[in-house]
Amino acid sequence: MQAVILAAGEGTRLRPLTRSRPKALVPVANTPILKYVIDALLANGIREIIVVVGYRKEHVIRYLTENDLPVRVVVQENQLGTGHALRCAEPYLRDQFLLLAGDNYIDAASIARIMGERNAVLVTDHPNPTNFGVVVTKDGLVSEIKEKPDTPTGYIVSTGVYALDRSFFKYTIGHEVPDALQAMISDGARVVPVRAVDWQDAVNPWDLLEMNAKLLPRIDAKRAGTISRSSKLYGLIRIGKGTVIGPNTYIHGPVVIGEDCVIGPNCVIMPNTSIGSRVTIDPLSYVANSLVMDDVVIGSHSRIIDAVVGEACRLQDHTATWTSGAVLEREGRFQKAAFGAVLGDRVGSAPFTILKNCIIGNNVTIEAGNTTVTGVVPDGAVVI
Amino acid sequence: MCGIVGYVGFRPAANVIVEGLQKLEYRGYDSFGVATNNPSIEVYKCEGKISEKGERAWKLRGTIGIGHTRWATHGVPSDRNAHPHLDCTGKIAVVHNGIIENYAVLTRELAARGHIFRSETDTEVVAHLIEEYYDGSDLRGAVEKAIQRLEGSYALLVTVEGSDEVVAARDSSPLVLGIGDLEVFAASDVTPLLGYTERVVYLEDGDLAEIDREGWRIYSRGTPVRRPVEHVDWDVETVKKGGFPHFMLKEIFEQPKVFYDTLHGVTEASLPERYRRPSEITVVACGSSYHAGLVFKYLCESTCRIPVRAELGSEFKYFTPPLKGIVTVITQSGETADTLAALKKAKAYNCPTLAITNVLGSTVTRIADHTVYMRAGPEISVAATKSFIAQLAVLMGLVDLMKGGNRFGAALERANSVIEEVLLLDIAKAVEICRPAEHLFYVGRGLFYPIALEGALKMKEISYIHAEGYAAGELKHGPFALLSSETPVVALCPPGDTYSIMLSNIKEMKARNAPIIGIGARGDRELTDIVDVFLPIPESHELVQLVATSVVLQQLAYQTAVALGRDVDQPRNLAKSVTVE
Repeated sequence: MQAVILAAGEGTRLRPLTRSRPKALVPVANTPILKYVIDALLANGIREIIVVVGYRKEHVIRYLTENDLPVRVVVQENQLGTGHALRCAEPYLRDQFLLLAGDNYIDAASIARIMGERNAVLVTDHPNPTNFGVVVTKDGLVSEIKEKPDTPTGYIVSTGVYALDRSFFKYTIGHEVPDALQAMISDGARVVPVRAVDWQDAVNPWDLLEMNAKLLPRIDAKRAGTISRSSKLYGLIRIGKGTVIGPNTYIHGPVVIGEDCVIGPNCVIMPNTSIGSRVTIDPLSYVANSLVMDDVVIGSHSRIIDAVVGEACRLQDHTATWTSGAVLEREGRFQKAAFGAVLGDRVGSAPFTILKNCIIGNNVTIEAGNTTVTGVVPDGAVVI
Repeated sequence: MCGIVGYVGFRPAANVIVEGLQKLEYRGYDSFGVATNNPSIEVYKCEGKISEKGERAWKLRGTIGIGHTRWATHGVPSDRNAHPHLDCTGKIAVVHNGIIENYAVLTRELAARGHIFRSETDTEVVAHLIEEYYDGSDLRGAVEKAIQRLEGSYALLVTVEGSDEVVAARDSSPLVLGIGDLEVFAASDVTPLLGYTERVVYLEDGDLAEIDREGWRIYSRGTPVRRPVEHVDWDVETVKKGGFPHFMLKEIFEQPKVFYDTLHGVTEASLPERYRRPSEITVVACGSSYHAGLVFKYLCESTCRIPVRAELGSEFKYFTPPLKGIVTVITQSGETADTLAALKKAKAYNCPTLAITNVLGSTVTRIADHTVYMRAGPEISVAATKSFIAQLAVLMGLVDLMKGGNRFGAALERANSVIEEVLLLDIAKAVEICRPAEHLFYVGRGLFYPIALEGALKMKEISYIHAEGYAAGELKHGPFALLSSETPVVALCPPGDTYSIMLSNIKEMKARNAPIIGIGARGDRELTDIVDVFLPIPESHELVQLVATSVVLQQLAYQTAVALGRDVDQPRNLAKSVTVE
């Protein structure tokens, strides 16, 4: 069996986290989403995996090579949509194949259900169908698939996982994959809906926290590094090699901590927290329900809750997040979401900064101390 | 990373294995070995490259065998440490890719039971462990028991005297079977199989496979399992580069990790006390390594107040002043002929010698009194990228030690994230300026002068554009006459002591209509305004900017060469290591 994973798109709705990586490479529980997809395929014995890369392709290829993942890489030079991305893999495909999105979590059991079908789409129920392709079924077959409709006709949505054959290619010219599937259905093809077991998409950056909380309980417990005897560790915890957990640090799993981190002394890490590699958390800080990426420094006396912290952020002492549910305007849409903060890569904050329900772009510097930052701050801004 | 190959069939096994290992050389090349089962075990192993010395193993007879090409992690590369490893009786041969984390514990246990260990590797313990469990007939059962004791990662191939099979096992290291007609292959990846068969079986973590002429049987924790036969039509080059168009780009993108690993590999133990306060230091190197040596000169003289001479390896033999203090040589391969000659001369003067190299156990490490390793991993591209960055990391680490404190430590700690940052830089406009040029100038001052030299060298090597690196102040002593609108200048203008004088140099060059590519600190308005293309480096410690700037110049050379359609990994007339004078 062959499988094509599309990992060429940026995933713009996840900005600012997609500046240095496509959405497929965003780490959740310290593992890129793409890796979960590959693992689900491998668990089903699917070994001929083609990954279509484009946006920040070197980063995706580097990840795949470093981890010796048995996949073939195909480059989509210009991001001309999912239909075009699939066609880039066409020369390598035989009759039947699976098509998957590299930036949505999928489990092995769902793949097992769809891999026997000829033309099928993996579907699931979702409370906010407007963000996805809404699937209408009739007589046990897919009768219609509408991409991101304004007024949805149901709650069954496509997960972006399909079982297809080569006859599909002629519909992909100039079309996105869902539109091509619609065209194929209109042509009279039988497309079966298959219910997914477990699937999840992070549409907005703060959705990553939910995904993180969901995937963390599945990590393997392993404690490498140097852990102070006076620290207290409870529950499911994974700590990478080279990491130092200082005295009197309290960690309550599920928590994953990468390699070469320095945490503590006297820190508290509460459940549903992922901490990347080479992260420093200075004394007397508290982190809970957060996703902290590689190379971050969190200063002492900080309180980071419900936050996504991008790579190499430097938060000085007494930085705090404040969770509240304000209405944010992003890309012309107003959304209400309750979270602490989403920080892009390389954000720097001065001491005593309060981050209140805000989205801060990449390379933002918060220069003045004692400020409360709210709303959306664009890339590269200096907050004074 | 290492590569392994196994063969059971009708062809001379040694030939098949050597040919296969040569294709796996990109996974490691410091030593290799082959064992055949004829039906007694015959072994040939030696230090050196499989591509150069592989033919020596052809003499092994038999049609069953296993082989290994090594990149040393535990124990230096030597005939003794090369795989395959044998048990005490010499009847069980094992090759291994991966790391056995609990080898020390197992070694102690087995040594206490009377096993004699001959090598310093983590692999040998596997051979003895299998010996312990082997009852003379059930090899699979013995391997099964042995792997239950192992912690870490492994891909193993095992063969035993008198048996006509090879047993393969894997966990967290790659292993694939190739299925032919009355022959079966096993290898770290598909490259050795291509040309023999397109039918492959991928083993899963925890799988164990019995291979013989008739076929293969796979077991997972003792239970027979079926794994599908897949069809591959990949070509060798694609597999090796893992999707990157060139090794050079692959290596450029490895640099954040290489810098971090190398810097953290330099510890108190790296530099013995007697090297820390010398009266003077002579650094000898060639090519990019020489440029790293020049950076060391500037850095060490200003922070440690120790006089440093940086000399070219090829010129060193013509110098006659008495040598004193310590002599340091820098060579990626450890085999550079001129550098080795200089090292021998230093030995003759009775100077303490220090070598900095990427290859464990290379010639230089056997001549020098002391060696510090960079941790760049195998470098395949002829143009040095990650090894240069690793050299900078080692040298900065050494200056730190000589200074006797953590002077740069904290600042360099974050260098990997700054390198990541500059890898995102869009340099298309700068490439547009360089691509049509016949001549280019690279200028810098102070610490950035060697970086300008290195940038120009990269450009020459792979794009074939005539590029000259100059100390910015020297331009006026001649080369200024060459400046025109046809000669773009890459100007390194970081903040610091040299900033204002560099800025006025750039204005002077601009006045001669030369297009300027300026590299400086992000947010530098003044520089942005006067140059044609501005490439920003994130604000960071001077040394981190230095490293980041070299990475930008590598990218500039690489992308210009690609735009010109050059053969980036194999530039004309050049070899990776220069082993003749």
